[in-house]
Amino acid sequence: MFDAFIQGLLIIFEWQTFLVMLLGIFLGFWVGLLPGLGGSTTLALMLPFIYKMTPVEAFAFLLGMHSVVATTGDITSVLFGVPGEGTTAATILDGHAMAKKGSAGRALGAALMSSLVGALIGALALALSIPVVRPLVLTFGSPELFMLAIVGIAFISSLSGQGGRALLRGFLAGLLGILFAMVGEDPQAGIQRFTFGQLYLWGGLDLVPVLVGLFAIPEIVDLAVRGTSIAGELPEGKLGKGVWEGVKDTFRHFWLTVRCSLIGTFIGIIPGLGGGVAQWISYGHAVQSARSAEERSGFGKGDVRGVLGPGAANNSKEGGALIPTIAFGVPGSSAMAILLGAFFLQGIMPGPDMLDKYLILTFSMVWTLVVANIITVAASLLFLNQLAKLTLIRGSILIPFILFLAFIGSYTSNNHLGDLIVFLFFGLLGYLMVRCHWPRAPLVLGFVLGKIAENNFYISTIRYGTSWLRRPVVLILMILTLVVIGYPFIRSRKRAVAAGAVT
Amino acid sequence: MSLLWTRTRILPFVIFVLPWVILGFMSPSPSHGASYYEGKMVTIVVGYKPGGGYDRYARLLAKHLPKYLPGSPVVVIQNMPGGGSIIAANHIYAVAKPDGLTIGTFNNALVIAQLIKHEGAKFDITKFAWIGSVASDASVLAVRSELPYKSTDELRKAKEPVILGATGVADTSYIFPQFLKEFAGFNFKMVTGYSSSSDIMLAIERKEVDGRAGSYASLLPFIERGLVRPLIRSRVSAPGIEKLPIDENLATDAKGKAIMAVRTAPTLIYRPFVASPGTPAETMKMLRDAFARATRDKELLAEAEKAKMPIDYFGAEESLKVIHAVLNQTPEMVQEITKYMQFGE
Repeated sequence: MFDAFIQGLLIIFEWQTFLVMLLGIFLGFWVGLLPGLGGSTTLALMLPFIYKMTPVEAFAFLLGMHSVVATTGDITSVLFGVPGEGTTAATILDGHAMAKKGSAGRALGAALMSSLVGALIGALALALSIPVVRPLVLTFGSPELFMLAIVGIAFISSLSGQGGRALLRGFLAGLLGILFAMVGEDPQAGIQRFTFGQLYLWGGLDLVPVLVGLFAIPEIVDLAVRGTSIAGELPEGKLGKGVWEGVKDTFRHFWLTVRCSLIGTFIGIIPGLGGGVAQWISYGHAVQSARSAEERSGFGKGDVRGVLGPGAANNSKEGGALIPTIAFGVPGSSAMAILLGAFFLQGIMPGPDMLDKYLILTFSMVWTLVVANIITVAASLLFLNQLAKLTLIRGSILIPFILFLAFIGSYTSNNHLGDLIVFLFFGLLGYLMVRCHWPRAPLVLGFVLGKIAENNFYISTIRYGTSWLRRPVVLILMILTLVVIGYPFIRSRKRAVAAGAVT
Repeated sequence: MSLLWTRTRILPFVIFVLPWVILGFMSPSPSHGASYYEGKMVTIVVGYKPGGGYDRYARLLAKHLPKYLPGSPVVVIQNMPGGGSIIAANHIYAVAKPDGLTIGTFNNALVIAQLIKHEGAKFDITKFAWIGSVASDASVLAVRSELPYKSTDELRKAKEPVILGATGVADTSYIFPQFLKEFAGFNFKMVTGYSSSSDIMLAIERKEVDGRAGSYASLLPFIERGLVRPLIRSRVSAPGIEKLPIDENLATDAKGKAIMAVRTAPTLIYRPFVASPGTPAETMKMLRDAFARATRDKELLAEAEKAKMPIDYFGAEESLKVIHAVLNQTPEMVQEITKYMQFGE
């Protein structure tokens, strides 16, 4: 086992393998930056190129590309408020807020460093879990998946802000998100819900145009109204502390970064939760880690912890997502589904063989995740301070460029006019929500988890009646849900009691 | 000032526009010469997102078709997902020009959508300029190997309902066992709502469900691994499962048998390719020839085998024969089929 571990590392440093990995990283770098190009689409495009490669080369190439997409996607999110990938939208909330305050460099440093930590922890989890992966994945059936979705939705309570009114708004926004998740053909009766006779809506609303609209449009309007640069809130030409500060932040809040990485890995391991979920739950957890009410209200306005959480999770989930793909031949995400095609092309049958006959190949994948992220982060750190200067460019010059990215990014998800309508609709909604001080994160949480909750609830009930409610893991997750909901209240009460004791 | 004005007006032109104009003159004019496709670009519109079966077949062809089209055009893929590929079919039917430069591939079950008069379908499937189909696909029902059901009879006599996973009610994973339950007396219980067929495989592995029905090609890896055992197949078959009982033969009445036959028929032309209605006959001949020859190409076949994508080519005439057979139903029969079958994403 340990031999295979070392051999897996050595094998990716053979020069051909290393070279194709570098090529993959280079491609992934740009795919991540540009909102129009999604990670999984590019994987599909690259499949024909692996016919002539050996398995090790092929996976070094594909995983090298895939593993850096989430890393550089964070850069676009932070700088422009446009999600570079569907999986990097949560970084916008605090990352872009920091850029507006002139701390783009610090936010980028934090995003990249936490991405690296996340990737390393995800890879470590992949390596460690190889012996126990089968029972681990098999423990999570539909009832458990339903409860996991409920735990995720419960994070609304900490994402909503303080006070009864804010909480009410948060829950309403969450419900609205769940409602948006219901759009499309329902799998139980085949009924079209909220599709208004539009074929486009059959498959439901796409994550990318929804997120790009919800987050990019309010930022663009804001930038246009202010008439300054992105970092217009500070005296011209003086950016705050740079990239290194962000790198240090990662280690200042190291345990948060580690916890969020573990959340991401775990969500990646469980097939069926999807790539969009990890970042939002981690963001919820980061907010929850705030010690006081004042600290919590700082989230969304540029708290670096709001960058570290999702930054770590959206990278660590890739290591996690490889686990079910390798061990069962069952992909954990759409990108992994395409990767599965690559296994077949290479004549490899994912499944128990991967943990035995192809163990060296499996470990070489782990190492690819590690090495590709180290290279990307190291290369990016060199010029991040320069990138941060983009936030000093006058808004009127940047706006057409950002709008272009946002439109293209939305349109490429289905190549359909409907994408642009959805983008504009959610842009308007996002703008109204920002203006009226409604939180957007609960809406997204409801949206990404609504369908998972619905389908798994239905499957659980049809399959097990009510007996699924007594499954041990379900009970544990129920308790966890209560803890997640109650945590902010318990904490604030404790504070109040402590304050009372002092006076 | 005026000098600056002219300079700033001309410079962008020189940089951005002139090269294209020159390129335009340099590129061969497409109109003359016998090779219609020379210097042109052929677009294959795929009704699904990148990475799925329809997309993978289209990309495989895009790579090898240029060798067999006169003038070796570039062949590119355009994904146009939505409405269970009805959006793409509507596009090819009414929007794309009938010049043989845009062809499309869509769900083989669109013919059923037309039969049951689905409101989204704005086409007459018989009027497409058919190229043919590059693969057929058998549907099978497979259950976990460790279960005591070794034969169809044992399965039919199951006392406890056999639980089968499904994605949606319009999908083979639901319809295939539903017919067996309805018309052949099988004790099945379908659980729908899984997000993909691979999710169902995982549910089989963790014993949440006992099996699933679906495409033989997609179940094959799991059959080879010993996870599931195929027990019943559709009339359309595949190498290796010829001896399995056919669902139609298990039906206890003629109506059920006929409805099952309608469901199976389109899977014979599982990966159809068409051009817009009204495409000139000579262009169609080039396309049909190219498809027929590309699907015999050694390299293509080798790649397809590696990727576990079966290839069996059906020409335009054969494909249309299948289509007409499905559509040729009595009104009563259409009513029955509408009762039992839906079309969906």
